[in-house]
Amino acid sequence: MRLDRKNFLATTGAAAAGAAFGFPAIVGAAPEPIRIGSVPCLTGSNALLGQQEHEGIALAVEEINARSDKVYGGRPFEIVEEDATNDNQSAVSALNKLLGENVVAIVCPVLSTQIQAMAPVMKTHDVPWMTGGTAVKNTQLGVTNLFRLRGSDGITAAGMTNFAVQDKKAKRVAILHASDAFGTGGAEQIVLNLKKIGLEPVANEQYPKDAKDFTAEILKIKQANPDAVLMYIQNPSDTAIILKQARSLALTAPIIGSPSLGNQTAMEVAGKDAYGTYCAVDFIVGFNSNVATHFLTAFYNKYHHLPDVGTGSGWVYDAVFMLADTYKKQKSTDPKQTIASLKGIKNWNGVLGAFSADAEGNMIHAVSIGQNQDGKLRLVKKVTG
Amino acid sequence: MHFDPVANLQLLVSGLAFGSIYALVALGFVLIYNAVGVVNFAQGEFVMFPSYVAVTFLLPAIAVFGTVVHWQLPVVGVYLLVLVLMVGFGLLFNRIAYHPLRDRGWMPVVISTIGVSIFLRNAAQLIWGSQPIVMPSLFAVDTISVGPLHIRPQDLLIIGVTAVLIAFQFFLFERTTLGKQMRATAQDRATARLVGVRVGRIVAITFVYSALLGTISGLLVAPLFTVTKEMGALIALKAFAASIVGGFGSIPGAIVGGLAIGVIETFGGFYISSAYVDAIAFVILIGVLLLRPQGLFGERVAEKA
Repeated sequence: MRLDRKNFLATTGAAAAGAAFGFPAIVGAAPEPIRIGSVPCLTGSNALLGQQEHEGIALAVEEINARSDKVYGGRPFEIVEEDATNDNQSAVSALNKLLGENVVAIVCPVLSTQIQAMAPVMKTHDVPWMTGGTAVKNTQLGVTNLFRLRGSDGITAAGMTNFAVQDKKAKRVAILHASDAFGTGGAEQIVLNLKKIGLEPVANEQYPKDAKDFTAEILKIKQANPDAVLMYIQNPSDTAIILKQARSLALTAPIIGSPSLGNQTAMEVAGKDAYGTYCAVDFIVGFNSNVATHFLTAFYNKYHHLPDVGTGSGWVYDAVFMLADTYKKQKSTDPKQTIASLKGIKNWNGVLGAFSADAEGNMIHAVSIGQNQDGKLRLVKKVTG
Repeated sequence: MHFDPVANLQLLVSGLAFGSIYALVALGFVLIYNAVGVVNFAQGEFVMFPSYVAVTFLLPAIAVFGTVVHWQLPVVGVYLLVLVLMVGFGLLFNRIAYHPLRDRGWMPVVISTIGVSIFLRNAAQLIWGSQPIVMPSLFAVDTISVGPLHIRPQDLLIIGVTAVLIAFQFFLFERTTLGKQMRATAQDRATARLVGVRVGRIVAITFVYSALLGTISGLLVAPLFTVTKEMGALIALKAFAASIVGGFGSIPGAIVGGLAIGVIETFGGFYISSAYVDAIAFVILIGVLLLRPQGLFGERVAEKA
């Protein structure tokens, strides 16, 4: 066809009209994005965790969308984010809103209490749910398409208890935990593990949500004269404040904590008050794979601060890449097919290690015991569940 | 559980320290309520916002809008700067959140204060991010140890400063013309205006004074709490309960209510269960409301009638 002025105007006009009226074939439209939902706690007292999730997901999406083939066939990821805030009701509302957004998978908040509140909704939808919530109960609620990308509290609590009793030779173990689903579930696991070796906790203290003065709890624990204190807390800010107050009230027993004690922010905020403490964590910088090294470098280059790998940014980064790999392999985003593929995951390498799905949807089966040595977390031992 | 005098003394100091903070914030609630007849739901943000401003100028490095700044000014200078800024903040708050709505009844003003509260919390997240920030303590040591007794010097500072502020407040209200004008405005604005009190100015001064009380609370408690955008809301909730226990509108009630809630929740956490600390505080609140609806020290508003 000769491209004179008349033909040019006719062609471009048709193309413009086609685009305007939704006929992408005429103008060669971009492949349809793959919409992934995310429900982090972006506001409220757990906003720090939500922010870390947001950053981890954004980094993964940026890297995947920068590939020539994007996820597959040129289709990029598009993240649809809703704020789970700080309470269960808002989390469920945010989830319901997301489900109306045509998403093919959802990255859930890290708070177990919110995951448990969401479970009734989750059960009724064939969507792959990716979570970092570690309460044992999360994967036992009948949500068969829930996948946990971190070690469960069962492994973590067993690792902490065994380390206290076997390595630190503790006979008198005290527990301090948050009163939410995470803290309570973790404390129950510690009590179960102590029972297995014929011990009872000498103190088992919990604090209410949003507490800031821990004098009563710390003094009660001190009065019980423990050889070791096991802390099961999710909120990094609470963890840091407790460590500061524990040191100022001269609680000298060794402290062994859940992953938040190894959280980068908690360690920075607690400063020297966290020195010498131990924690069971998903990840320790310096003992990582190529994937983890790449993640750490890319994260720092993008955000100019270190990530909280286990509790915050690492597991969501893994979740997005795991979904991308799955979609690429099956050349489809069909949720049912994706769920079946995720159930068959074996030795998939991510930031947090090698992922293999078990019957309950647990994908990570090991944690590390680390020690805060002058502000740096050092590996003490690996614990496999 | 055996009686441990050392632990009880530690609990008392800690309870009085946190109770003092509740008392100062409760005073802010009560003064504004007395002056303009509404509850200021942004009172907690009067604690949070100046704490953020203070750490911005105190720390060697802090991210503001994602950019790291290195101001690190001397402590005394920063405290004075924050107090001066909060005078401006109190005036601005009065001008924006209260003054335009003052003749439209209490509800629009309450909604306005809630709006300011939400705005300030979101602004804090936008400016300083979600990371908790440590405010450096004025003391070189975290603990003063005398044998088995370990007391945080910050707790003693909080109790001491609160005592001075309460004494100052007594002096201001009982011995100065300004204080008498504030009391006259609280009791009856129309009559106060008739006898020549410039009510608008007194209301503005009340907002400034409440903002300063919040600021001092924030500067005192931040080294124990860390600075987060939620810190003010948590204190304000307890302070609000304290002012109701004491008798909403009563200045001695706010002080006694604050101290009582602080001490009761600390001892309750130790002797009953720390899991029920909030429940204990609110059971007391409900009990007081049932047995003495006007609160422990009556309600000044009732006297107006």
